[in-house]
Amino acid sequence: MISASDLRLTFGKGTPLENPALRGMSLTVNQGEFVTVIGSNGAGKSTFLNALSGEVLVDSGEIIVDNVDVTKLPTHKRAGRVARVFQDPLAGTCEALSIEENLALAIKRGQRRGLSAAVKRQYLDQFRESLASLKLGLESRLGDKMGLLSGGQRQAVSLLMASLTPSSILLLDEHTAALDPKTAAFVLELTTQIIEEQKLTALMVTHSMKQALEVGSRTVMLHQGQVVFDIAGKEREGLEVKDLLGLFEKQRGLEVDDDSLLLG
Amino acid sequence: MLSEIAFYGAIETGLIYGLVAFGIYISFRVLDFPDLTVDGSFPLGAAVAAVLIIGGWNPWIATGAAVLAGMAAGAVTALLNVKLKILNLLASILTMIALYSVNLRIMGRPNVALLTEETVLTPWYNLDLAYHQVPVLLFIVVAVVALILLWRFMKSETGLAMRATGANPRMARAQGIATGAMIVLGVALSNGLVGLAGALFAQSQGAADVTMGVGVIVIGLASLIGGEAVITPSTVVRALLACVFGAIIYRLAIAFALNADVLGLQAQDLNLITAVLVTLAIVLPGVRSSVIGKFTRSKA
Repeated sequence: MISASDLRLTFGKGTPLENPALRGMSLTVNQGEFVTVIGSNGAGKSTFLNALSGEVLVDSGEIIVDNVDVTKLPTHKRAGRVARVFQDPLAGTCEALSIEENLALAIKRGQRRGLSAAVKRQYLDQFRESLASLKLGLESRLGDKMGLLSGGQRQAVSLLMASLTPSSILLLDEHTAALDPKTAAFVLELTTQIIEEQKLTALMVTHSMKQALEVGSRTVMLHQGQVVFDIAGKEREGLEVKDLLGLFEKQRGLEVDDDSLLLG
Repeated sequence: MLSEIAFYGAIETGLIYGLVAFGIYISFRVLDFPDLTVDGSFPLGAAVAAVLIIGGWNPWIATGAAVLAGMAAGAVTALLNVKLKILNLLASILTMIALYSVNLRIMGRPNVALLTEETVLTPWYNLDLAYHQVPVLLFIVVAVVALILLWRFMKSETGLAMRATGANPRMARAQGIATGAMIVLGVALSNGLVGLAGALFAQSQGAADVTMGVGVIVIGLASLIGGEAVITPSTVVRALLACVFGAIIYRLAIAFALNADVLGLQAQDLNLITAVLVTLAIVLPGVRSSVIGKFTRSKA
């Protein structure tokens, strides 16, 4: 279980560019839930994910992962609990290293690294088997440099790397946004498949409202650094993009009302 | 032409600068951390080894102390960068400048002679070899051992974490790698190797001098870049071999340039020649591929 409560974070505090990215964001994700997160640009989606992974530290609030308070921990100390796939296919893997070396890095995520050989013989069968499940023919290319792979292939391997060792939560940061539609569909399908098979707890940020409703078991919308609505179960079933838009408009309308109240 | 003594001399210094090139490979290539500390850690290694040898220490222990001193210098540079957020290049310049004073303090004077002292080379002179061949033999052993150890390290879990830190720090952090600690470890390791080179250089040349570090970074880079032009560094072991061969080729090129009377060059032109060779080493691979490109196009 992962629980974020009342997260607040302002970038460039005290400067003309002051930007409150998180304004009291609270969200609890239960074991085995697959939450999709939507929101307009600047809603705080990426900042929220960065706060969960430790790339940015929040000004106030609390982040609990499996009963451990990780609020003040840097990224590398959370990595054992938090797995992540980035938006940029180049960011999640190391192009200068071979496929097997990338996987060897991932198999030790969040664990101590010693002086024994990184790519161990006993790993290779596991690597081949997981790569074969991608059906990209990568299982015979373990020694190839990561840089030789296409964006879609690299993103598929990133996904594999994130699920190679257990984690409390898998963060997916618009991980299909930089891919062409066909590859994006493939990676998305792979995502749901891996999450279902391994019963992972996941949080997926997406730009596509359609995607947000099609996959996962719960949808959360962020606006101006807060959760504006949170739907799951029956309420979510049969919901369409236009309903979501309606909810969003309604929410925005309320925001305007609030502002006018303040100004008045 | 080159005399036999000049030839072996070039190989000998080439092997020592191969160690420097290993260090520069770790900082510049593996960690992507432009580190100029080496101009200070090379004479630091020499100074520490020389002073301890004169103080009656076993030369190998003195050399080991030089490695530790170099590692400490590297760690200071890395910590200035990681903890105090000083730009890596500037952090290394600060340490380099500081080391000039430190080296003078260690030696107590600008240079220390070792000519009459027992060094790591002394027992090897009992071998049935010409005087100028002995250092070459010993330094080949040292370079090969260093190469194998570094190769094994780069293939280890920690070594792989270090390579990921330089290539993609964000991904490295997401995999649970403490990138700051990796930078400290790597830059320390790099300068430890340079300290070793300094200690061996002082013992083979018979003196440690506070100015002997000037331009070490350029020579090391020349060796690295030149070596990479000859041996494509597609794997770790090839990259390490490129360091050693680059350094030897570089020293031979220098020796030829200085020995060729036609050119009229003298010892004091060394730094000028170095700068020209580095420029050529950087530019030539591009020229070569464009020439080859033209050649293959005309054939097709």
